[in-house]
Amino acid sequence: MRKTNRSMWAVTTLALAMVAAACSGSSSSSDSASDGGGSESGSNASGEASGDISGNIRVWTHQNDAFNSGLQDLATAFEGENPGVTIEFETFDYDTYIQTLQTSLPAGTEADVLQVFGSWTCSYADNLATVPEDVLTKAKAEELFFGAAIDGYTCGDSLYGMPQEFNIEYGATLINEAMAEEAGIDPAAGWADWDAFIADAAKMSIGGQGDMTRAGYMFTSSDAIPYTFYSMIVQQGGSYLAEDGSAFTIDTPEGKAALEQMVAMVDAGLVDPVLYNDLNNWVGDCFFEETCATGLVGPWVIADYAGDFPEVAEVTSYAALPSMGDDPTFVADSGWGLTVSNGSEVQEAAWAFVEYVTLNEANAIQWNAGAGTLPALKANASGANADALVADFPHFATFLPLLEYGQYVGDLPDRDLIWYDITYERILQVLQGNESITDALANMEREANETIG
Amino acid sequence: MTPSSTTKPLDTETSSEEVAKLPTKRSLFLTGRQGAERRFVFGMVTPMVLYMAVFSVLPIIWALALSFFDYSARRTGGPILGLGGENPFVGVENFQKMADFSQEAPLEVRQFHLSLRTTLLFAFLVVPLNLAITLPLASLIESVHQRMRPVFRNLFFLPVLTSAVGVAIMWGFILSPQRGLLNALISKVLGETTIIAWTSDPSLTVLGIPVSLFAVLIAYLWQDLGYNLIIFIAALQGVPQSVKEAALIDGAKPWHLFRHVTIPLLRPTIMLASVLTMISAFQVFDLFQVMTRGGPNDQTRALSLDIYESAFRFQRMGWAAAVSVVLFLIVLVLSLVQSRLLRSDWEY
Repeated sequence: MRKTNRSMWAVTTLALAMVAAACSGSSSSSDSASDGGGSESGSNASGEASGDISGNIRVWTHQNDAFNSGLQDLATAFEGENPGVTIEFETFDYDTYIQTLQTSLPAGTEADVLQVFGSWTCSYADNLATVPEDVLTKAKAEELFFGAAIDGYTCGDSLYGMPQEFNIEYGATLINEAMAEEAGIDPAAGWADWDAFIADAAKMSIGGQGDMTRAGYMFTSSDAIPYTFYSMIVQQGGSYLAEDGSAFTIDTPEGKAALEQMVAMVDAGLVDPVLYNDLNNWVGDCFFEETCATGLVGPWVIADYAGDFPEVAEVTSYAALPSMGDDPTFVADSGWGLTVSNGSEVQEAAWAFVEYVTLNEANAIQWNAGAGTLPALKANASGANADALVADFPHFATFLPLLEYGQYVGDLPDRDLIWYDITYERILQVLQGNESITDALANMEREANETIG
Repeated sequence: MTPSSTTKPLDTETSSEEVAKLPTKRSLFLTGRQGAERRFVFGMVTPMVLYMAVFSVLPIIWALALSFFDYSARRTGGPILGLGGENPFVGVENFQKMADFSQEAPLEVRQFHLSLRTTLLFAFLVVPLNLAITLPLASLIESVHQRMRPVFRNLFFLPVLTSAVGVAIMWGFILSPQRGLLNALISKVLGETTIIAWTSDPSLTVLGIPVSLFAVLIAYLWQDLGYNLIIFIAALQGVPQSVKEAALIDGAKPWHLFRHVTIPLLRPTIMLASVLTMISAFQVFDLFQVMTRGGPNDQTRALSLDIYESAFRFQRMGWAAAVSVVLFLIVLVLSLVQSRLLRSDWEY
């Protein structure tokens, strides 16, 4: 009986601890969070560092050495030009950063300048400051930045920040030149349409459904599927989100055609979606381990893998994908950029720093070159600045002409839920043959609309 | 314990003078040997009580409170702990939503149903399989030469000490479709290349149970069985030799001895092991997260994973808290039922 009692205690204690473990993080925030205050700033925010502003600016960023060392260099230069300003960085690993932002912003404990991914901006807008008109107007921003880069920072008619980079995941595919040559394919010649691409990619596949050892075109990862699907919809002139953001329109003729095109690629043997997805053979892994000949992922992947796979990196290039329409339109998230907290007491100095980093062409391209990212400023995508960037990152040559065709994904109520739990999961089921195109389109539209409050 | 004057109960004959001479409660606590003992106990227990209060009791109360709110840390909410305002009180709405079994139920509700089914299936498979392996194995280890016992004990216990993430990565490598050891072995035996997506093919099932769930189950059993093994070995060592000898003199064969003597004597231990294994099975998170991330097609989305995703990925804290309350109640009820069913009325 005593043993039974002890067991009961063990049961109760462990069960309580389990609930606690599941839920104890709800009100956590970063230990480096503070009251967001700082000393009072003065003077203007003219863009060029004026030397008469002051204050201690706290900056939050996620941990990325290339991103942060470039930003630190610019901060040091800014401090040199503005002796009254000090800039203090606090960095967080990616997952912690997301949770820190999500919990600190409503609590008002965030830093003065916050690095955010553009597509998140509107969900934080209540706690962010709008860009002062004397720094940058919305109209001017649309003129200076690529639409896909700046639109995420625009909520309604207000501008809440400025992008540092153009985030691109669609438009061109990684290609292993050695495998292409072996199959008699010249990637530089490009492809007139999807049929031509499919015919070539099929030549690079080894094995079929169920026993594939090399995929001709790996597009079945959790980012590649949604970007492909939504890009194909807009290429046909369709739209998946009502202009006012009030409803998703996925179950449309354009949506059906896009999905049929993706199924046709699987049927042609370009990829086995059971063996190639996020669980097995993620696109970066499979490309650099040479179990896929091409793969749909942004150019950032090369920096991540080139060190471990130098031989593969040697024979890696990017090739532009064909379009389902007249133009190579594609959807893109707004990439990383800088915003200012509306609780900051040094807003003028903070905006001056943000302007210095993002609007000054020389500074912006300096950061892009150091971080290995594509420019958000239109002016930096051509001319001498672009040439210098391509000299450092030859793969950017394929992407730079595509940037003008980028279209912001839209203010999705819950981007990750729609991207990964709805679009990726449903379309993967279709490609694996477990769900019909008709059902998947209807279900995706219904589930996506449920996310709209 | 020896009764002392300080603990002697007062009877009706105790005079008022005697009462006056008795130490007060305060002096009981602060003076003398007993006072010192109590201070020592107080000093030792207080940190743990505070620890439990801060890291267990408060979060439990907070989770319980959140389950009645549509709470998200993304929203500002009311002045008191962010409750109210944009994080409104919704009463039992979160729990009512869980009872919506229609096809039109929201995605998070359908994912909860799927997770609940997966977790129950996992737990109810784990317990009998674990016991079916560990109990005979413990008996076998006890039957080998005394010198060899520690070798086997340590060998089987080693995976328990291994990080669950490490175990998940190792099993992921074994089960990888193209580069995995298992498929390589099958290919060798069959003489032809065999590629089976053990953890990512949603159409792969055995008796209606996804193979991907079995994959996680095998990894879990491999890691966890050493724990119960040690418990059973300890219990087997406590079985009186005289009882076994009596059975053998009566002509019992080894199987009969195990079936009719050992197992009944181990009933309290089996109860303890099954309850602890059941609770542990409900808590598994890391293996699911690393090996399958809930896939394919949510077939291995366990409740712990569902709670984590709802709370920290999608910031639906209120909903996640409600699901965790349900998980707590399920574990509590199952534990009570198990302990009632396996209760023994005697001890040896």
